[in-house]
Amino acid sequence: MEDFETLLAGAAEAHGHLCPGQVVGVRMAMLGCELIGLDNPSAMPQIKKLIVYVEMDRCAADALAHVTGVRLGRRSLKFIDNGIMAATFVNLETGKAFRIVSTETARDKAKELMPEITDSHRQQLEAYKVMDMADLFDVEEVRVDIPASDMPGPTRFKAVCTRCGIVVRDKKEVLMNNEILCRPCAHGSYFQPVKGSTHAEKRQHTL
Amino acid sequence: MRKNGSTPFKTVPVEEAVGMTLAHDMTEIIPGKSKGPAFKRGHKVTSGDLCRLMRMGKNNLYILDLDETQVHEDEAVFELASALAGPGVEFSADPKEGKLELRASYPGLYKVDVEALTQFNMFQDVMCGSIHTNTNVQRNQSLAATRAIPLVIERRHLDEATALAKAAYPILSVAAYKPLKIRLAIIGNEVYNGLIQDRFQDIVETKVRALGTDVLETCILPDDREIISGKIKEYLEKDTDLIITTGGMSVDPDDVTRESIEASGFDQVHYSSAVLPGAMFLLGYTRDTAIMGLPACGLYHKTTIFDLILPRLMAGERPGKRDLASLCHGGLCMNCTPCRFPECPFGKTA
Repeated sequence: MEDFETLLAGAAEAHGHLCPGQVVGVRMAMLGCELIGLDNPSAMPQIKKLIVYVEMDRCAADALAHVTGVRLGRRSLKFIDNGIMAATFVNLETGKAFRIVSTETARDKAKELMPEITDSHRQQLEAYKVMDMADLFDVEEVRVDIPASDMPGPTRFKAVCTRCGIVVRDKKEVLMNNEILCRPCAHGSYFQPVKGSTHAEKRQHTL
Repeated sequence: MRKNGSTPFKTVPVEEAVGMTLAHDMTEIIPGKSKGPAFKRGHKVTSGDLCRLMRMGKNNLYILDLDETQVHEDEAVFELASALAGPGVEFSADPKEGKLELRASYPGLYKVDVEALTQFNMFQDVMCGSIHTNTNVQRNQSLAATRAIPLVIERRHLDEATALAKAAYPILSVAAYKPLKIRLAIIGNEVYNGLIQDRFQDIVETKVRALGTDVLETCILPDDREIISGKIKEYLEKDTDLIITTGGMSVDPDDVTRESIEASGFDQVHYSSAVLPGAMFLLGYTRDTAIMGLPACGLYHKTTIFDLILPRLMAGERPGKRDLASLCHGGLCMNCTPCRFPECPFGKTA
């Protein structure tokens, strides 16, 4: 694994800017990998041994992905929408897993560490670089029993929604009213179809 | 190369083990740094592994001597679980001692095709044990477990079992609850006239809420045919999935709820169930709406027929006369203190 400064510079470039979240994310990722015994997670063979669950879609999430090499499309990065500045690092080979939570008290600690910096953004950014891990994070050893349908690798499970005909991968289908449905058909979704452009009609247009 | 009795293990010098399958986890200890499995059971030894194995002090290995007609239990159980698990049922990627636990991936009504599962268990060298069908389950709840019985199973036995499971798909599934539009009518002169305080509303609302939905509207009515019928018709005209009435279900001359429901335009009305508490239960349907008439036993008993039928309606089922009758086996509540339902035989009809 590269050194902290190199990783931070890379994370800032990948994310688009340098911010306290990048510092927190890089340090969290370095600590998480160390705890589960991985020293070069973004290269083979360790790239296949790591899964990271992130619990927020904020700046730190990008830094975590940059340092560890985990990717949504590789199924090694899992997004759990808890709105909590936390991540869990799982070593698939050993089963070791640690959940690391960014402390809220670190903000106050930053004021103590860098009283000469008045701008809170810069104060946090600089303080988080040097702050003790114990002040920056709460760490807990955990067990994560990852479902077979969430594992990386080829698609093993496919179902077809009986209502709209779309293929649902990885056991995300729902049985409702004795029908196997995709989640949008079963529970509704974040989008509303515009009249005249439903999936079925679109398929007809292209046939 | 040595065979170990009749087991599928062989002892093989490490340099001859390339391409063979390890019979057990191999632990590596790096003093002061780490201790953990360097190679998992089932790992196929590669030439790149030889140096590491020798550094670990391994000059001979137990390897599995499998041919193409044999399948290791960890691989077999994955195929069994994949074939058995329908919608709402998931399982770990990591078998423990050859076994996989199947769990609910969302809350709902657990459904087991009992006949197909029995047929599955008739095949040689496989098993799957399950909790009862029609159980209300929570996310992540353990539902069943499966395994191949021997350490190594014949491919043809495995294929026979998985073929049946795939043909009967889904043998195990969880039916998600659909939030229903529910309206409630509390019936009884004693409540209507304020002689006693109603307690049914709270009981019904609590049980409905536990399944993820709410009662939209509640009214209190006297034991009067026209008023009850009129209110039920009003509920039917509104967008209602389920009407629940409480009280007036027994044989007293003042009890008119049943006939009021029957006069309100329901196509099918089933009165009485093979369940105690809950014998004087009514279940009826129109094309779009179901109605449940709850007898007064629900005020006294913590668990009744209501707890058995509500989840099934919420899961989109329409239990009929035979379903109500088939509850007979397991239909007697044992009135345990404290009540352990659903971890008890009540309502567990196979």
